[in-house]
Parts: sequence; structure tokens; C-alpha cells
Amino acid sequence: MLVLVTGGAASGKSAHAERLLCDRAPSSRLYLATMQPFGAAAQARIARHRALRQGKGFETVERPTNLAGLALAQHYDGILLEDLGNLLANEIFAPEGAGDAAFGSVLAGIAHLQDCCETLVVVTDEIFSDGLDYPPETARYIAHLAALNRALAARAEAVYESVCGILLPLKGEGNA
Amino acid sequence: MTVLFIGGTHQGKAALARALYPALPLAENLHARVREELAAGRDPMALLDTMRGCAITCDEVGCGVIPIDRADEAYREAVGRLCCAIAAEADAVIRVTAGIPQFIKGENPCT
Repeated sequence: MLVLVTGGAASGKSAHAERLLCDRAPSSRLYLATMQPFGAAAQARIARHRALRQGKGFETVERPTNLAGLALAQHYDGILLEDLGNLLANEIFAPEGAGDAAFGSVLAGIAHLQDCCETLVVVTDEIFSDGLDYPPETARYIAHLAALNRALAARAEAVYESVCGILLPLKGEGNA
Repeated sequence: MTVLFIGGTHQGKAALARALYPALPLAENLHARVREELAAGRDPMALLDTMRGCAITCDEVGCGVIPIDRADEAYREAVGRLCCAIAAEADAVIRVTAGIPQFIKGENPCT
């Protein structure tokens, strides 16, 4: 099953995504981290997420690109992918990323992860409402992330938006 | 009682706060206060204490691309975390779009 959790910056979506995964995956849990640890802000975010996960029985794998090529040693009850916005940025902008083929690479990676577990929870970003104009490469990134969100939401069993730490059901399971 | 009105800018949050909770002191534009606290070198999370008992309005500022400016990013992060903390304690959280209130926590006192 696929569950998508979206939300703005600092909206509490990570904590909800973890809880949703832990509710559905009884034992073997994998945390798939996509963030590249460059800069103080990224490191602070990684440390915060680590603290959130502590004691919840997650294995952690860091994988910034090419999820479709990821070989996992076992089949998991649940995988938490955090997050889609980072993964897409890595695929588009990082030297080892898929470049122009980023969109398809991300979708193929998600399909592969679904084959590797019973429940996949994907965290994504709401970055579509600041009303600002961006250079073409950023605008393309925004458009691709929006298209990924639409594609995943269409096939997900449940979609949620976190607002001020409150989880709002957008699709599927009414009660989180 | 503490209530939090969130939503985009100019959506009618303060007007709704006055109409739905006339007895509560109105604390408008929490996002601007966070900006002031950061500029003064203070921890904006301290606003959690001062906001208790108020009808608070705050712009939802987290739904854009990560700002290039580090101070803008820190501001956006601080507004989000503070709103999560206030919402966790609040009796009601109301998301306002085009002047229409959605109670995402608690119930409308006028219905």
C-alpha cells in the first residue's frame, strides 16, 4: 500500500508520516533518507529527524539518487521515504542524478520500493503557493514535483496534508 | 481559551476571529511577531506563553520553495514550529480560505 503525506515547511509532516508507518508496519521498518548532508541547515534537519525516529526500530539507509537501483537485503513491512522534494532535486541537480530523466527515475524508484515492502509512506513538500517567479530551472523543478505529487496521489490508498501539526485526510482512510 | 486562525495572507482571518470569538483578545499577524523576535535575537518559541488566551492570526508561510536567504529559511521554520506548538494546545484551529473558516481542530462556537 502507498501512503502520501504532504505539507509545508515545519508543518509536522515527518512526525505524522512516522506514526502512519509505525501503525501499519508491525516490525521491520526502513527509513530511506534522501537528503544530502551539505550545509548546517541540512545537518540540523537530519539531526532533528534522527531524534524523532530514535527508539522506533527503524533501519536507516541514505540514498540521494537512483532508488530503482537500490538493492535491499530483505522485504520490509514498511518503508518511509523522506522526502520526495529532496529526491527530485538530487536527480535533477546533482552530478550523479538522472538529469532530464529525473521524473521517470523517481517514479521508477517509487515502484521499486513498493515491490520491496508492504507499506510505503512517502513524504513530500507543498511548495506551490508562494506566488513568486523563479528562474526556468527552479520553475521546472516545481512543475515536476507537482506532477509527481499528482501521480503518486492518484495511485495512493491514502493521502494526507499536515497543517500546523494537524493531519488532514485528503484521500482514503478518513481517520488517521 | 486559545484559538489559532491560519491561512494565506488577506483571507479574512482577523474578521472571522472578531466575529467568532469577540470575548478573546486578538493577536494579529503572528508571523510578523516571529520575524521581530528573530531580528531582536530572541527565541520566537517564547511567544507560545504570551499567546495563551488569545485569538491568534498567522499567515501560512511554509508552502513555497526553500528560501535562498538563510534568515528567511529560519523565519519560515520558526513560524511553522511555533504554529505546530500553538495548535497542539489550542482549543480550536481554523484554516481560512477566501473568508471561509474550516475548523481543522475543535468546533465552531456559532453553530
